[in-house]
Formats: sequence, structure tokens, C-alpha cells
Amino acid sequence: MEVLKINGVEKQFPAGIPQTLTELLEQLNINQATVVAEIDDKIIERQNFSQTRVSPGQSIELVRFVGGG
Amino acid sequence: MDNLIIAGREFNSRLLIGTGKFASCELMAEAIEKSGTEIVTVALRRVDIENEDDDMLSAIDRTKYLLLPNTSGARSADEAIRLGKLARAATGIKWLKLEVTPDPYYLLPDPVETLKAAEILVKDDFVVLPYINADPILAKKLEDVGTATVMPLASPIGSNQGLKTRASLEIIIEQANIPVVVDAGLGLPSHAADAMEIGADAVLVNTAIATATEPAEMATAFKLAVEAGRMAYETGLPSVSKRASASSPLTGFLREQ
Repeated sequence: MEVLKINGVEKQFPAGIPQTLTELLEQLNINQATVVAEIDDKIIERQNFSQTRVSPGQSIELVRFVGGG
Repeated sequence: MDNLIIAGREFNSRLLIGTGKFASCELMAEAIEKSGTEIVTVALRRVDIENEDDDMLSAIDRTKYLLLPNTSGARSADEAIRLGKLARAATGIKWLKLEVTPDPYYLLPDPVETLKAAEILVKDDFVVLPYINADPILAKKLEDVGTATVMPLASPIGSNQGLKTRASLEIIIEQANIPVVVDAGLGLPSHAADAMEIGADAVLVNTAIATATEPAEMATAFKLAVEAGRMAYETGLPSVSKRASASSPLTGFLREQ
């Protein structure tokens, strides 16, 4: 089964992983306008989400702003 | 009152607001507005992919307030730099409140890692506002590497203890050529006024406002305190003496001479 490591946790995709970062975010129900992404420690600019391919085994970090001092 | 200038940008308000710990986005937005602030700090955290959470940014009018991302949670220079780059990618903002706090109990900033990160981030064109212990030597070193401010703590984050580091803060303020923003530990409006009276250029408040019963009321109280303290500082503080000095005339008493 295809697996991605998302925010430190392995997530399985029985039907295969989404092709692009945008599709992944859609599948996870995450509003991409508020998210910053890193794939294997490399920052992906938001305007490049839709062209960024996702491959099995990659480590993906999805972060967003929260309240803080 | 003079305006505050940080990295060439002018601000009317000398109160920075942290957005943590508010019970709701509505309470946060109201407190931000009442405080009169123009700079609000935010943190970066992993998205909870199992639970859809609120997007707090939508409650902050980015045309009115400068967003100042922090690097909270970073325990080393490398982690802080990574967070800074993520924040810049998210917002296009190159302003960054640099915090490196490896100690979970007192959340005291690591001076060595903070200086190391500041040097790298300044070279990478960030506007760096470092959170530091009230250490005058470190403050000078950060100024020398090009940080936009220094942000020395009054007392540990969220402790509401007020100006425990007063003597060192006074030295930092005396020696700094960049704005000094007193950050952390200001629990009462009088603490904020105190910091402004000794010549701080600004203060940052979060916990005392966010956890108040009425955050908007407390935000107003801090706004007034910061203005009062600054006004007194600009006017010049009176001298202190041991003996009394009568305020009423010492002549014309209704008694025998």
C-alpha cells in the first residue's frame, strides 16, 4: 500500500496517493490558502502546490498559523 | 508622542499584541482592535489533519495589522531558521520574532542559538526581532549583527511577574541604538507603564490580555498604560528624594508664629 508521512505520522492511501500537493490537500479537506508545505525538508511555495508531484514514501509537513505570543 | 520606528517602518502604537491563549477568534479580534496595536504576533504549528481547525488568520485584518510570525517551539538555531523560512513562504513577510527556548519550564531564551540564528537570518534579508533574556552584552551583539530590535524579557513568559529584570533592562535601554521592546511577563497595565517610563520603546503583551475576564477591557487598559508611561518618559521623570517636599505653601498657617 502507498504511504506518505504527513506531519510525522504515516498515512496509508489504499487507492493510491494523490498526484499533486493540491489534490492531497483536497483529499485531506485542508484549505490550501492557509497552509505552508514542506516536502522532504524543502519548502513548497503555495503557487506551486498544483504542479508539485507527490510520491510514495515522501515526508510532508503541513503547517499553518495559530495564535501565539 | 513620538512614533515608534522599527526597520524604517513607522507605528503610532507602542503596544504589540500576542494572539495566543484567547478563548475565541472574536475575543482576540476585539482585543486587538481596542489595544490600538499595529503589530500582532502569530505562531506556526502543524495542521491537525484529523480535525478541521479554525483559521485564525481570517480574524486579523492584514491591511491594519502587521503580522509578526514567531519561531516559538524552536529549540535550536536550525529549528528557528526553518520556522522563519516557512513563515516567510506563508505570508511573504520577512519580519520575524526570533525565539529559541529549549527550556520548557521557564521558557528562557538560549542566547548562543539566538545570536547564531539572528546572524544567519539577517544575512537572508529577514527583519529580525529577537526575544532575549535581559542581557546587555547579548543585546549589543544582536544589534551589531543587524537585528531590527531587541526584545528582552521582563520576567518569564506568561508569569505576570512584571519587571524583575529592571536593572538590566535599564542598561539595555541606555546602550541600545535600536528599539527595545520589553516582552514577556507584563501582567498588569502598571507593569507596561513601568517599562515605558524607564524608556522602553514598546512592549509586547499577550497572556495578561488574552486570559483576562474581559480581554477587550484589559486591552484598553494596557493601551492607556503604555501611552501614559511613554508620555511621562518623553516629558522627563521627576527626581526622587528621601525627605518630604511640601506641595502646599509653607507660609500663612492659622497659628501663632
